Amino acid sequence: MSEKDTTHFGYKEVDKDAKAGLVGEVFHSVAARYDVMNDLMSGGIHRIWKRFTIELSGVRKNNAVLDIAGGTGDLAARFAELVGPEGRVVLADINDSMLRVGRDKLLDQGRQRTIEFVQADAQYLPFPDDSFDCITIAFGLRNVTDIDLALRSMLRVLKPGGRLLVLEFSKPGNPLLSKAYDTYSFRVLPLMGRLIANDSDSYQYLAESIRKHPDQDTLLGMMEDAGFCQCEFHNMTGGIVALHRGIKA
Amino acid sequence: MTGAADPTLHTAALAALETALKRALDLAPESKNELARLEDCVFALHCTAPSFEIYLHPGEQGIRLAGVHTGPITTSVRGEASDFTELATSNDPTATLINGGLELEGDSAPLIELQQILATLNMDWEAPLVATLGDVPGHQLAQMLRSAFAWGRQASASLSRQLDEFIHEEARLSPPRLEVEDFYRDVHELELRVDRLQSRTERLRQRLQMLRG
Repeated sequence: MSEKDTTHFGYKEVDKDAKAGLVGEVFHSVAARYDVMNDLMSGGIHRIWKRFTIELSGVRKNNAVLDIAGGTGDLAARFAELVGPEGRVVLADINDSMLRVGRDKLLDQGRQRTIEFVQADAQYLPFPDDSFDCITIAFGLRNVTDIDLALRSMLRVLKPGGRLLVLEFSKPGNPLLSKAYDTYSFRVLPLMGRLIANDSDSYQYLAESIRKHPDQDTLLGMMEDAGFCQCEFHNMTGGIVALHRGIKA
Repeated sequence: MTGAADPTLHTAALAALETALKRALDLAPESKNELARLEDCVFALHCTAPSFEIYLHPGEQGIRLAGVHTGPITTSVRGEASDFTELATSNDPTATLINGGLELEGDSAPLIELQQILATLNMDWEAPLVATLGDVPGHQLAQMLRSAFAWGRQASASLSRQLDEFIHEEARLSPPRLEVEDFYRDVHELELRVDRLQSRTERLRQRLQMLRG
């Protein structure tokens, strides 16, 4: 097997074609307790990170928004309020378990008229060119097999002037914070996963996949290489999470 | 790349403030309906000391607060925190905007409307009290609170009026407003007369020089 045909799955090197299936298994496993675990693992701070993403998105009435790897629909629900009845919000996720949990949650909130649910791979988005004013992908890009391919696919479906926002775990700038974060990720997270979700492997993968994900500057370069302009990033909580934004010219 | 500060704390503070505002507005449905009239407006508050920015998006659901906004702004106000506090608590926001230390850009009318809606927030405490305590005790407690608030407002207005009267009329610590305005008018008139006199003197001096020359 050549080097080009493999990719990382956490710290393991796996066949490129196998990664989507392996990631799929992780998310099938965590889907039912995804929201609870997010709140527990981040101490609720993920809501603040998502709130800032919404602020920076500049989404307004009548906009068309695509939330990729939308999971349980936190961002999509808020976007539906912002775009109003004449706008369009699409919640896309490659994983049907996550999509089902998100769809059930949003339908229970009475949002069936404003949000479309699409099972889609971020690398091959099933939408026409120039379809969306804004695309968000929150804590999903690191699970994509080929990030460059996904970024190019997102650029294609964005309207000129449209924004891509990538919210993702990144590299803390402070060495002390970095050390504490490592301890938390590799000791506390799998333990929490085992005690609460009865699944320590998935949370071990979560910690490993974060470490394998490109850091702030590398991802910024990848966005520029894909064709985005005015690229920038905002570090949050000391760089544990970074929000990248790029615009389609 | 951005060199901006970590937005986590600022965003968390705005989220907490927005939740508190939403709870207050939930108890004041009339004010909420009035806010719906300002749905398409965006207000930018640029505070210079301490340094922060808030964007207010009013709507029928309440007021959404944001730390970042890209797009048109209805009214932009810049000043120090004390100036904003003065505006928020002012009985006459127009006078405060004109005479205070705030710099205003854009349309002032929607901002004054927003200030008045928030300043006259008439909260109905009965609904949450009834939901928590039951119909009869909730209603009775709400009546007591309403009476206490009404008495408090009346007492505060009366105290303010009496204090005003004491300072101006009894103790003569400060002149009444009308007297001060008369005084300023006289000073202004005197200033104009002095200016005219100075011009006339200057003219006479020049004529004298011409006659001598």
